[in-house]
Amino acid sequence: MSASLVFICQELLGRGKSLDFWKLLYVLLKQIHRGRWTESDAIGAQVSFVKWALWYHGYRRPQLQRLVADGSAGSRELLLAFSWLLHCPGLLEQLLARNRVQTGDETSLCTCEDDLPKSQEGPSDAGPEDRVDVRYLQWLNGRLRLQWCSLHAQHQEQCKLLHKIHLFTSGSHMDQNLGHFSVTEADLIRHPESYKQLVQLLDSETTQLEAFLEWKQLEPVYWQWMETVLDDMAEEGSMCESQDAHVEKRRLPEVNSCCPWAVKLAGQMDRLSWDLLALQEQLHQLVAQRRAAWWEKVATREELQKERFSATARKAQESIGLKLRGLTSLCAPQKNRMHGVCRLVLRNNQPASKMPLGQCVSKEAAATVSAAEVIRELQVRKASLQRELQQLQQQCRHRLDGIAEGLEGVICVSP
Amino acid sequence: MLPAGRGRRAAAALKAALGEVAERRRELEQRAARSRALLGRWDDEEEERPQPQAGSSPEHEDKPSAKELEELELLNRALEKALKVRKSILKTPLEAQGARGQKWAGEAHAPKKAEEQQAPVPAEDVPECRKVRAGGKKPLLLKKPSPYQLRAPYRTDPDVKKLQRKVPARCVSQAPRTAGKISSKGVTSKQGRSHRTATGASAREVCAAAEPKETPGLSESAPNEQQSFSGGDSAPGKNSTVAGKQLLDAGKKSCGFLGEYSKKKDTAGAWGRSTSPGTGTLQEKGCQLNLPLPYRKAYSRNSRAWERCRLCQTSADAAAARTHFMERIQTTFCSPKLTPSPAEIEEELRGLQDVPSRLRQYMEAEPADPPTLQREYESLLTLEGLQSTVSQCLQKLQLLQEALESQLRLCPNCPGDVGSCSPACVPARGQTCDSADMSALPLLCYSSLQELRDLFALKVQVSMMHQEIALQKGTIMESQSNFDLEETQLLALHRQPKNPTLCLRALSNHSWSSGSL
Repeated sequence: MSASLVFICQELLGRGKSLDFWKLLYVLLKQIHRGRWTESDAIGAQVSFVKWALWYHGYRRPQLQRLVADGSAGSRELLLAFSWLLHCPGLLEQLLARNRVQTGDETSLCTCEDDLPKSQEGPSDAGPEDRVDVRYLQWLNGRLRLQWCSLHAQHQEQCKLLHKIHLFTSGSHMDQNLGHFSVTEADLIRHPESYKQLVQLLDSETTQLEAFLEWKQLEPVYWQWMETVLDDMAEEGSMCESQDAHVEKRRLPEVNSCCPWAVKLAGQMDRLSWDLLALQEQLHQLVAQRRAAWWEKVATREELQKERFSATARKAQESIGLKLRGLTSLCAPQKNRMHGVCRLVLRNNQPASKMPLGQCVSKEAAATVSAAEVIRELQVRKASLQRELQQLQQQCRHRLDGIAEGLEGVICVSP
Repeated sequence: MLPAGRGRRAAAALKAALGEVAERRRELEQRAARSRALLGRWDDEEEERPQPQAGSSPEHEDKPSAKELEELELLNRALEKALKVRKSILKTPLEAQGARGQKWAGEAHAPKKAEEQQAPVPAEDVPECRKVRAGGKKPLLLKKPSPYQLRAPYRTDPDVKKLQRKVPARCVSQAPRTAGKISSKGVTSKQGRSHRTATGASAREVCAAAEPKETPGLSESAPNEQQSFSGGDSAPGKNSTVAGKQLLDAGKKSCGFLGEYSKKKDTAGAWGRSTSPGTGTLQEKGCQLNLPLPYRKAYSRNSRAWERCRLCQTSADAAAARTHFMERIQTTFCSPKLTPSPAEIEEELRGLQDVPSRLRQYMEAEPADPPTLQREYESLLTLEGLQSTVSQCLQKLQLLQEALESQLRLCPNCPGDVGSCSPACVPARGQTCDSADMSALPLLCYSSLQELRDLFALKVQVSMMHQEIALQKGTIMESQSNFDLEETQLLALHRQPKNPTLCLRALSNHSWSSGSL
């Protein structure tokens, strides 16, 4: 991939095929951003997406944003942007990690918000005069709940099946870390001819990895080359910079508040601050209460006022020092927070069970996460979501109360 | 009736949500079918490619189909009769006439036209009371799908609420069990599969229609609904217990096939086709299986390559050259890179999101009345520590908000909607990523079936809550403008305090406590 990329870049610069370069960046960035793209996406949309994504990743070169929207110019700027992406979000590493061939029972660990599918208001829906009965909505709602219950039941059944398969095939896998087959692998044994594509995919991934290693060798050359590109552009740029300067200044004061991503993020921040403020209020009251009680005790009991208690106090501080350190680390970004997919592996804690001798768990090249940990994380997440949901329901309740007061002669019985 | 635009949008949002869940169910069903096939005998002739369940298609419908409505009408009428009979039983217990009783029961089972009156029924009430009391209700309630009161257009009849409330609980609890029964029986009989799927699907459909009927009644009495879900276990009357037990036995029998079936067939299975995996089940020969050679070679080459990538470090030259380039290019940026980039802001925010929950856990873990003085002091210190953490987080959040604002000043026009913008959990790489930081696929190790089940139960709950929150937010945003009575209904729809997790938990207790393999 690396050598071909360098080759492609040179080719693009040589022939001035900016369009292809835009498209390349578009496709690559879409993969990282979990978007879907089609061949027929308009060049204007591609250009604006690439510009936005580069802004998102912190690229602030103004010349890029000034490139025309029809994608006909700017291959050198794009080359610089591409180099930025290689480093900042680690484009290559991310692509390799995302497009990993899945041979096992992979399950995603991410507890982040799933993207909702876009609910298009199709013209095939109810006609213009057809107003929606709220009982129809209730029916849909009930149906939705039932679907969730069914999904839950399906998952539970799948767990049993998976567990059985993992149990029955323990000890057969040549990779000691795994120890047993996944569903795909067991199926592969049964129907080897259906899985030729899987083998091909594995081979092509290996090729990509080898190319990546090659790229790592070539890296110094690449960066040096990029510096020369930057030099060239700096020379040219300084000539026309004076023209563009006032254009730049005009754009700056414009605050773009209609970005949906920003709106979503701002909403999350608001909710978080609301949550934290509520918690702070509660803690404030609790601490005041406890402190008052404590000082009362101190006033009444003489032993507390003596130095005898300072030893106890020191002990107390030590014993919870660890806890408090854990608290402060909560604020730090959690680097070990899992996203992405993991392969499910049954691992009995007793080493003496079905596994063959010589299975050393110390040979772990892979990071392992225990299910117990993930369950704890999920429970915390669930608690957060429940609070959020309750808050939203309260909002609804308030509005309903407001509405009820406005209605005359109507008594609203709330559930 | 809701105003057209609002109502349609709400309906569209709900339909999209339904589509999402249905999609997940389909995918899961495919995987489950593969797993099931693997656990059966391996020398079955039929091609085990899982077909998309025929039963899943009716669930795509947005409106109750004509067939469903017909069934509902039928059940409606049958239940009305039952209720009238019951009323009359309570009033005047008298002798019954056998023939009339038969006729009445027969009428209840036969499909009818919509114009059929209910007048004949009261006339027969008195004579056949005893017969009805003895066994008339049984066939009705044992018949699957269960009858309940539902009159188009889905009005609630206060008289029948008591009976109606208990039945849908059984419906819902039957549905997953039916699903379980279908799936476990599916391996043994392919022909029966489509039929059972259809039955199960229709059971599900009717229950699906039953379930929403539940909702108007529930919006007036939430605690009862909880009781009905959890009380579904101790079913009202022996009738449903019998039905439940029948299903349970069937489920147990079919689920137990894995053990007995293989033993039985083993002796007779010598004539099985001798393909390379051999005959028998996974249970027997699972430990002796080997992956085919081409796959093994590809797999080991692949994992070696990943290992090499993981160990490969950026060379010093490359790192130096890269840093130099980065510094230079940053000098050409319009604003010096002091603030965190939007990607970093998002990542930091993600890290903060669960902090309130965790801190609350700590806070609630502190005892209200500590026994000893030292404990009390410790408790006080902990709480003070929590306080300072909260203020730290608030400060950090403030910084992030300011950073976001300053970044937004340079934001280009955002293309399209959020879905295409926000990265899928992109862990923001720091400025120094010297190592490739690529490891093999991380492993999620579980040690028991219960752990696995808890894990997935929680995942489903979290997903469901995400969706519910999104729908709720949509509703609130919709109702920002001037309000009216219909909007009250819309709001009331979403503010049901029905606890979804309770629903799932009760369900899981109910359907899986006894359905062990």
